[in-house]
Amino acid sequence: MKYFVYIECQDGQPLSASLEALTPAAQLGEAVAVTVGSASAAAAVAAYGVPVMDLDAEPCCPDRITAALESVIREQKPDGVLFAATQAAKDLAPRLAARLDGGCVTDATGLEVKDGKLICTRPAYGGTILERLAVTAPAFVTLRSGSYAKPAQTAPASVETVPVTIPDGAVKAKLMEAVTEISEAVDLEGADIVVAGGRGMGSAEGFRLVEELAALLGGVVGASRPAIEEGWISRAHQVGQSGKMVSPKLYIACGISGAMQHISGAMGSKFIVAINKDESAPIFSVADVGIVGDALEIIPALMDELRKRG
Amino acid sequence: MNILVCVKQVPDDYVEIRLDGAGKPATAGVEIVNNAFDTYAVELAARFCEANGGAVTVLTLGKDGAQSGLKNLLAVGASKAYLITPPEGDADENCVAAWLAAAVQKCQELNDEPFDLILCGKESTDEISGQVGAMLAEKLDLPFVSSVIEAMPIDGGLSARQETEFGYIRYEVPTPAVFTIAKPGYDPRYPTIKNKMAARKAVIPTVSAAEAGMEARPARVVCLGYAEPPHRQAGVKVQEKEAAVAAAKAVALMAEAKAL
Repeated sequence: MKYFVYIECQDGQPLSASLEALTPAAQLGEAVAVTVGSASAAAAVAAYGVPVMDLDAEPCCPDRITAALESVIREQKPDGVLFAATQAAKDLAPRLAARLDGGCVTDATGLEVKDGKLICTRPAYGGTILERLAVTAPAFVTLRSGSYAKPAQTAPASVETVPVTIPDGAVKAKLMEAVTEISEAVDLEGADIVVAGGRGMGSAEGFRLVEELAALLGGVVGASRPAIEEGWISRAHQVGQSGKMVSPKLYIACGISGAMQHISGAMGSKFIVAINKDESAPIFSVADVGIVGDALEIIPALMDELRKRG
Repeated sequence: MNILVCVKQVPDDYVEIRLDGAGKPATAGVEIVNNAFDTYAVELAARFCEANGGAVTVLTLGKDGAQSGLKNLLAVGASKAYLITPPEGDADENCVAAWLAAAVQKCQELNDEPFDLILCGKESTDEISGQVGAMLAEKLDLPFVSSVIEAMPIDGGLSARQETEFGYIRYEVPTPAVFTIAKPGYDPRYPTIKNKMAARKAVIPTVSAAEAGMEARPARVVCLGYAEPPHRQAGVKVQEKEAAVAAAKAVALMAEAKAL
């Protein structure tokens, strides 16, 4: 079976999550990476030993990228296309599935082939339930980051520039401006330690304690949705269903009650410490160490204790 | 501007859904509510029409019993509501989008006016696939912008602000168009008692699949079964009067587990 892997780029470089998708594609059969109008990204991907098609089109807006991919899929008829489950790909995959009358699966965490059919595992209901879905080709599947390790680099594979046909009128939504408001780079997915805060931090000042503890441990700051909505920290820090999936060695949840929508994003953590006033908070049922107490008092005490240890 | 909002009814997402004895999601007895993102879409539509003129119609694909959810929306900004029963049988997002496309035509016919803008929530809280809005735009061959948090009228169309991870992207589209809606910076309004009373008396037109021109179609994605993710064991609970004592215990436990 032949699967395309759409490689999304940022500043001309492939996203790490897109490279991860090369791994299941190779396991399912023949993998071909697809970049859109980026020779630099194509070369970077070829270093992983997977042949690359660089589509000869400007990746200037979602409508053009959709049309470019549609063109090459109609031409070459792969069994499916895998994507990293980014915001952009979660639009591309269903649009292409509608155009090519294929099946579409969002946020898959595992792929296999059984009796010639692609089977995907994905979470539903905020992550409390996993679904097993059989998909009719052509399959359009977005993969949750961290589900597969990216392949090792080997002898570089070939890069081919492929012409595409983009019909007139393909661009219906004109991209006028892309504005960056949050310039900080927040690498939650790659972090070894994540210290996350929620509603229980009480205020923006309270939330600063979460940041101080993260700084002391050399970790990255995470947050649950209430903390983001209160405006205590930018949404780049969100962990959970509508944010990032993290898998650190240590996850410290401060003032987070533990709604499944949040917890599902931290279930990959090796060790979970929870601090919460409410003894019956659901977060304690998944925590390796659960501290019952006010995070505003516990965090300073934890920092004192950690400093003592040097 | 005439705006249609497609609303899915879902099990209340404050309730944790696990598997029942038969290995299916245990949704029986869980209150059915309007999907949160769809209610944000209704609020955005209501505000748009209050500022620029127009009316909001809401549409649910569902069975008898879904009227009460639609009535709730008539009390918070929608002026018309339709309940359309989709064909029986398994459906994937592609089926739902095709049926919605037919339903949109039917609602336009019943309203005797075309829609300028069609909204869906960016995803539903049960399946969380986020596919239907994008597929609906394709079926209707209309301009599409996802995760919109603000829409403004411009000459010949709309300007839409799409929320992104690092900021926003602004698009301009001709109308009619399809948007999916993310959480804007405001919450849906509460109904006034007067609106609530009026909505309760409303009669929601119910349309069958056949009347709406919907046909059964093969699903491209079929659910084979369900599983629960591996459970984590709860570990040690530290509960002390003094924060310092609790902290010392917790750090010792973390060190012992080599988590530090």
